[in-house]
Amino acid sequence: MSITQGPLKPQFTGARVTRLEDARLLRGRGRYLDDIDVPGTLHVAFVRSNRPAARIVSIDVEGALAVPGVHAVWTAEDCGITLYTERYDVGQPVLAKDEVRFVGEAVAAVFAEDRYVAEDAAERVRVVYDALPPVLTFDEALSEEGRRVHAHRANLFHHTEHETDGFAGAFANAPHRAQATFVTHRQTGVPMEPRGCMAQLDAATGRLTVYVSHQSPHQFRSQLTRLLQMPENQIRVVVPEVGGAFGIKAMLYPEYLVVADAARRLGRPVKWVSDRTESLLADAHARDNRHEVEVAFDDEGRILAVRDHVFGDTGAYPFLGFPGAVGEAGWATSMLTGPYKIPHVSITVDCVFSNKAPEGAYRGVGGPVGAQVQEGIIDLVARRLGKDVADVRRINFIRDEDFPYQTATGNVYDPGSYAESMEQALALIDYERFRREQAELRRQGRYLGIGICTFVEPSAGAESEAGSTPYEAASLRIEPTGTVTAALGLGPSGQGHETTMAQLIADQLGVDIKDVVVIHGDTDSAPFGGGTGGSRSGTIGGGAALRASQEMRQRLIKLAAHLLEAAEEDVELVDGHAQVKGVPARAYSVRDLARIAYTDVARLPEGMQPGLEVVVRYQPPLSATYSNGTHVALVEVDVKTGFVRVLDYVVVNDCGRLINPMIVEGQIHGGVAQGIGSAFLEELRYDDSGQLVTTSLMDYLLPAATDVPRMRVTHIETPSANVGGFKGMGEGSLIAAPPALAGAVSDALAPFGVFVTEIPVHPRQILEWVQGGVHSA
Amino acid sequence: MKPVSFSYYRPNSVAEALHILAQEEEAKVIAGGQSLVPLMNFRLSRPKTLVDINGLRELAAVEADGKVLRIGALVRHQELLAHPLVVKHFPALAAAAAEIGHWAIRTRGTIGGSLVHADPAAELPAAMVAHRGVLVLTSARGERRVDADAFFYGYLMTDIAPDELLTAVELPLPSGVRYGFAEHARRPGDFALAGAFVEVAETGHAGAVTWFGVGGRPDRQEMELSPDASSRERQFAAALAEMDGPEDEVEARYRRQLAAAAAEQAYQRATASGRGN
Ligand SMILES: Cc1cc2nc3c(=O)[nH]c(=O)nc-3n(C[C@H](O)[C@H](O)[C@H](O)COP(=O)(O)OP(=O)(O)OC[C@H]3O[C@@H](n4cnc5c(N)ncnc54)[C@H](O)[C@@H]3O)c2cc1C
Repeated sequence: MSITQGPLKPQFTGARVTRLEDARLLRGRGRYLDDIDVPGTLHVAFVRSNRPAARIVSIDVEGALAVPGVHAVWTAEDCGITLYTERYDVGQPVLAKDEVRFVGEAVAAVFAEDRYVAEDAAERVRVVYDALPPVLTFDEALSEEGRRVHAHRANLFHHTEHETDGFAGAFANAPHRAQATFVTHRQTGVPMEPRGCMAQLDAATGRLTVYVSHQSPHQFRSQLTRLLQMPENQIRVVVPEVGGAFGIKAMLYPEYLVVADAARRLGRPVKWVSDRTESLLADAHARDNRHEVEVAFDDEGRILAVRDHVFGDTGAYPFLGFPGAVGEAGWATSMLTGPYKIPHVSITVDCVFSNKAPEGAYRGVGGPVGAQVQEGIIDLVARRLGKDVADVRRINFIRDEDFPYQTATGNVYDPGSYAESMEQALALIDYERFRREQAELRRQGRYLGIGICTFVEPSAGAESEAGSTPYEAASLRIEPTGTVTAALGLGPSGQGHETTMAQLIADQLGVDIKDVVVIHGDTDSAPFGGGTGGSRSGTIGGGAALRASQEMRQRLIKLAAHLLEAAEEDVELVDGHAQVKGVPARAYSVRDLARIAYTDVARLPEGMQPGLEVVVRYQPPLSATYSNGTHVALVEVDVKTGFVRVLDYVVVNDCGRLINPMIVEGQIHGGVAQGIGSAFLEELRYDDSGQLVTTSLMDYLLPAATDVPRMRVTHIETPSANVGGFKGMGEGSLIAAPPALAGAVSDALAPFGVFVTEIPVHPRQILEWVQGGVHSA
Repeated sequence: MKPVSFSYYRPNSVAEALHILAQEEEAKVIAGGQSLVPLMNFRLSRPKTLVDINGLRELAAVEADGKVLRIGALVRHQELLAHPLVVKHFPALAAAAAEIGHWAIRTRGTIGGSLVHADPAAELPAAMVAHRGVLVLTSARGERRVDADAFFYGYLMTDIAPDELLTAVELPLPSGVRYGFAEHARRPGDFALAGAFVEVAETGHAGAVTWFGVGGRPDRQEMELSPDASSRERQFAAALAEMDGPEDEVEARYRRQLAAAAAEQAYQRATASGRGN
């Protein structure tokens, strides 16, 4: 596609433009789902299973119905919608039918005048259960005698194998082999604003408006259309301000169907907002993975072959379109070789059902776990050979001359800066000096360590948890007075798209960023698009914004050239005007051009349509573009308490062309914070009877501001082949931080023989290692 | 996460508060609400009546006479940690109050609430036991004074009766002894996993350690504190070995290790500067 770009001097793109969203968000003026307050609304409280596995003998709702203010109580008999995944032949009834399969599964829904009454009544719903033995671990799920979570099918629901030709020989003939089992425990996204949904039927038109805190308005509407069996144009989905999403809000949850169906059938607006305990019980869980890894390498530390047997526990049901364990194992194994030239892999994946909450997407999906393996094997090889961990990385890196590089797992990497990012990061943290200090401090009984993660982040892919929409859409119009309104199919949750998209558009149109408004989140006004997930918004969404504004720019230039009686090549757009190059006197303002385009249409060139409006869909030429970077964490482990303190943290990030470095850095700060949670604090723990014991933020520990160090972030820009040269970067920081932090603990405690293979690392565990002798891989 | 319904009183005098507590069934005092409201929202606590004492300004004073410091039950943690009389006479108490929760919690939470709630990992109950405080309990039936050491029974259990109001605590002004405080929490602002107040005589080695977070209640043990660090380490370990800990053995071992480390730090602080922090 050839659109003349003109000698564009970007004023906004690449600059640290202050986020347009912040004025409202920081003043507490954002309007979130729970702020929508419609008179007559019925509030929902769900009765949730307190059993991990049981047959439902009976449900008695009479007591609940007798509570004043209760309007209705539903069970599976009243709402029989099932979220059915044909591929695995498993359906999740939106209200449990006959059997419950995890603690927290919704069994009944109470609709009442307010949430207080609804909860009073929910307590009075009597469910009689007949307990079944729960299936709680991989080994239980896979054992011959083990019970089936879904009686009609085996617990093992997804099995794949992939081995490169020549693997066996390469593995057998390697001079050295080592093995380790990497385990990550259940975690979840914990957005500050919990999930929620509100629905309202317009009695006059019969249209259903569904408000939802979600990442992908159109995907959600498509799912509602199918499951409610309503015409698509009878459903309007509105996503208000979203206070964090992190992947978990890309999933389709049973509660939403109950709310939407109830609004339709009870004739009242219906609202449900999750409380924190419900969130921890029933938001998508993630990271319940085990990787049994063997690595073969030569005397220099060159990795020759890797074998990985992955176990993923997806919980009781597959999320529609995104069974978490499959997504995680897929990503982790596809990215297993990371930035390294590892010629041979042998990968086996086994995903199982269990009596735990369903797993879905959480920022980074399988990336953090894959990176844990990828960096873990490097550190393991270094330790076995007594080599420096940076040197072993150097010898294995894919080099500039290797791009485009096809990995043993079948990805084709576009150019990146793997080795360079690590060298810069090591220089930033002054690695050589650290090594000298580390030795000295050890003699004083202080244990400091450095961990390195050089990550590769697949981004802007055709498929993600946001669905399989390989393009994004932007509609752009210049209003009759010259201001610009853009609408995109994205579903931001704090990323600052209103700013970054406006930056791109303002530059193309030569207008001030303040004259551009970006709207999203309403299927009545936004063009059909994929939404936000899989680090696609900046790249694919940005591409759409760029293409739409380039098209608009052409329209403005064509109109101006006609009015100025100049050649199109001689017209430029600057400071809100279209002028003959270098002759500011011969100009039309964008405002005048807009007025003419709408109201003085006789002056338009022949064949030009009145108005200034375009809709563009952009699909990137590559199936994915790979951003990269290196994180280096410096920690101190207190061997008296087992506490780990992050003393320093550096990031060198390469996501191609930067639209707004400040926003990119914000994404990194947040990802590293979540990485600190992943590595040290966050764990959804089930006890031996299948009860979730971390049901409040007293028990599910999140990193606090004091846990997160000041970090230093610098950038390298290796452009992608996508329009604008952008690469996605929403997840890389959470992919890289956990391995960097775990590696730093291993390094700090190397004198004790400690090698971390399981996260989160608990201080109690650290003391056991330090005192109880050697724990080694 | 909504409480069951309850009736609500906001009395204007202590007498009125005591009257309501005597009359109403299943009434509970609410002070800062920082422990009670979460319990109510989880429906673990279901009082029929709440008696809000935040209007009782007479419970909010800190005063010293020649012998004792009297701290009103309604004094907020944030006031406690900064109050000149507390900082002057009980620096370890001030230091401990600074470790409670976060700023928002400290500006609401009260000393009375913390003592009556009696979380075994809370700082203030241990501080009262360490400083040999006396709790002043009042009801329509009259007033009584209870030694801190006798007040705490075990996990969330105390000597207070349902109709009683804690009005103040009294701490004897220390002489000839210094206190130090230290604790270990997973994140700043969390309840401690374990902590200790250490008391040492200005002359000689007589002393005491008050541990918290290990057993179900604060535990004060008098001991000669050796000036030699490794002897102290053995002393602390031996003292802790005698105490009941959490049921889980690994967790119990971990708590004892942290408690010992905290005691050593507290000892250093007590002997280094005479200041509690
Ligand atoms: C996130 C968070 C972190 C926290 N971290 C810590 C911590 O690190 N350390 C710590 O010690 N605490 C911590 N707390 C608890 C906090 O200190 C509370 O303030 C304190 O435990 C209770 O005080 P309150 O005034 O809020 O009492 P309330 O919650 O109002 O009441 C607590 C109990 O005391 C009773 N009560 C209150 N006042 C009186 C009175 N005068 N007479 C009789 N009965 C009374 C109430 O009936 C109730 O049973 C934390 C709380 C939160 C929410």
